[in-house]
Order: sequence, then C-alpha cells, then structure tokens
Amino acid sequence: MKDKTVEEVVLEIKDKSELMVDLAYSSIIYDNKNIAKEVYDLEDLVDDLYQAIQEKTLKLVQKKALSVNDALSVLRLAECGEKIADAAQEIADVELRDVELHPILKESIRESDVIFTRVKTKPESVLSGKTLGELKLASETGMMIIAMRHQNKWLYGPTKNTRIDPDDILFAKGPEDGAKHLEELADGTTNEI
Amino acid sequence: MKEKKPHRIFGILQRSPKEKWKKEEFTEIEYEPKPVKEILTEMKDISELIIDLAYSAVIFNNLDMGEEVKYLDVRMDKLNYDIRMMAMMAARTKEDAEQLAGILQVAEAAETISNAAGDIISLLAEEKTGPILPKILKQADEQIFRIKVSEKSNACDKTIGDLKIESETGMRIIAIRRGDCWIYNPGADSYIKSDDWIIVRGTEDGYKELNKFLHGKLEVLE
Repeated sequence: MKDKTVEEVVLEIKDKSELMVDLAYSSIIYDNKNIAKEVYDLEDLVDDLYQAIQEKTLKLVQKKALSVNDALSVLRLAECGEKIADAAQEIADVELRDVELHPILKESIRESDVIFTRVKTKPESVLSGKTLGELKLASETGMMIIAMRHQNKWLYGPTKNTRIDPDDILFAKGPEDGAKHLEELADGTTNEI
Repeated sequence: MKEKKPHRIFGILQRSPKEKWKKEEFTEIEYEPKPVKEILTEMKDISELIIDLAYSAVIFNNLDMGEEVKYLDVRMDKLNYDIRMMAMMAARTKEDAEQLAGILQVAEAAETISNAAGDIISLLAEEKTGPILPKILKQADEQIFRIKVSEKSNACDKTIGDLKIESETGMRIIAIRRGDCWIYNPGADSYIKSDDWIIVRGTEDGYKELNKFLHGKLEVLE
C-alpha cells in the first residue's frame, strides 16, 4: 500500500465498496456464507485503505504538493466509499446470522433492475479456458463477473487476466437478457459471444 | 417478465425543478398499506442508481443531477419509515420478528448508501472543490461517459429495450438529458431521440462501440 498514489487508493476504495455491495446482495440471494464473509474481509481492507489515504493526503499537504481544498475533497470522497462499504457489511451481516431469511428479501433483490445470476461453466462451453480479457464478457454481454468459485477456492472481483476453467461457478450481475445469454454460453448451448 | 410497478419514479421524462427535494423533506408520516417487497425493491433500485448519479454529477459538475440525488435521498428517508411501519404491522410471531428484522437491516443499509451519495453531492456544492475529483474518477476501470446522440444514428426513436444497449455493449444508461428535461434510470420502454445526451457507465471498450453507434458511424450494435 506504501507505493500507491492517493488517486489509486481512492479509486480502490470506490471499486471495492461497489464490489462489496454486489457481493452482499448475492450472498443473500444465494444464501451463501462464503460470499458474506468475503464482504467482512473486504471491509477490513477498505478500513486500511481509508487510514492509508488519510496519512498520504496529509503528508502531501505538508509537503505542499496538494492544496488543502483538494485534500479535503479526496478525503471526503474516500469517506463516502468507506460508508458504502459499511452498508455492504450490514447487508452481509444478515446472511451470517443464523436466522432464516425472509423470502421477500430474495424476491425484492431478484426483481430489481439489475439481475444477479449464478452459472456453472461446462467443459464444452466457449468460456472454458479463456481469460475475462479475451472474452470481453462485460462489453459483449453486459454481465459483470463479481465472484468465481474454482473447486474449493473463491475469487472475488476477478480481473482481465483471470481465466475461466471448466466447472468454475460464476456469479455475475447485469441486465435480464444478458443473464440469459451468459447462461447459454456457460451451458454450451451457444458459442456466440 | 417483470410486472409493471404501480408507482414509478424512474424512467419518466421530467424537468428538474429546483429544490424539489425540499418539498419532500419532512412530509408527514402517514400509514398507507403497501407491500414490503415493493418498498424494498424500490429502496434497492434507488441505492444502486443514486451512487452512479452522484459520481456523474461530480464528474460533469452537473447541478441537475445533484438535485435528483438530493430528492432520491429524501425519498429514501420516507421509504425507510414506510418499511418500518409495514414490518411492525406484519409481525405476528417471534419468527416473524426475527425475519423482519433482517429485512429492516437491509433497508437501513440501502438508506446508508443513499446518505453516502448525498455526501458526495455536498462536494459539488462547495465550489472550491476544483477539478481534482473528476480527474481522479476518470481513471476508474468502469467509467462514466457522456455521449450526444446524432440524428444520423439508427438509435433515434427506438427504445432502449429494442436496441439492447446494455447486453450488447455492457453500458448501463444512468440518465438521458433531452433539452432541459431528464429521464433518470430509463427503462426498456424509454425512447432515445436525436440530440439527447446519454450518461452511461461501463468499460472503455463498450464506450467506444456505443459512441460510434450513437454518432451514426456504426449501423447496428452486435
């Protein structure tokens, strides 16, 4: 974290906090404690990032490399991200309690504008063995992969270099017709991305 | 297919009256039976849109979008009261109480998110902020872009649903500006017209394709 710039850290807080909200909602839809726990871990990470950015910004101000107003803007933006991360944690908390979830909870998340979906990649699928960067899933299907399960390993917020292997389980979000498209691709019913 | 929501605050063409949010703030709390599911879905939809809208307002230094964020934030407060009342009325047994507590927790979190968006907007209000935030936000992986629709584009007078913009390009439309009117969170049945300004969120790749299409340099999205 030491050699990251202020800009990089504030963007990381923004990206992570948004990923956390998506993960938190998916943890409820799929009744998945692994995902919910990841939200807790990410919340720790965001806390660390928030502390790091406070220190970095103040140092820059001290060196007169950043104006007080700019520093305040950056810190306030980071604070908002931190708040969003906290909210995501509150949502994940519901999943981690040993209380049966009210069916309405899942239904309202399902019925909102953005759809969550979970697919298993078949060996014959065109997705198998390719990286997310090669596939350009996000820009071609509108579906963003937020988490993946590879055998017993979990991967959250995959990047362009992440490879999809046969039998991987993908958790994604996006529009309704995009979800259908992704399901067909993973099933091997279609090869057209 | 989703059933039509009886109450719509999204996807409608509207003028942005100054300080619309002030009229909504502190309105009387009145019990009105409304399904919990409907309230929670609306809260979740607002919580998703409001963040993108707040960042867009900062990036483009746009006060209209800022006003809408304030309005949605105030509406969220009201919805939070509504859902609490409905939950209290619905609880009959201990099990009900446990399950409903989970619903209220999620509602509260959605409210926190909209508060955070309101805080982002307050950065806009202080004019001293300067260009540092737009500069930073433009470096994000998923960015927010603004595109003007050319009259030559095949998108003109078609609906977003017909064009399948999101599933073809991955670009999610946050808002459309038409003259001095706005459509926030447009739905599948919202039309795109020539000279509209479209505010979208997505990757650079998706942006390039959509930009060509909306400028009439690409016939179809695929």
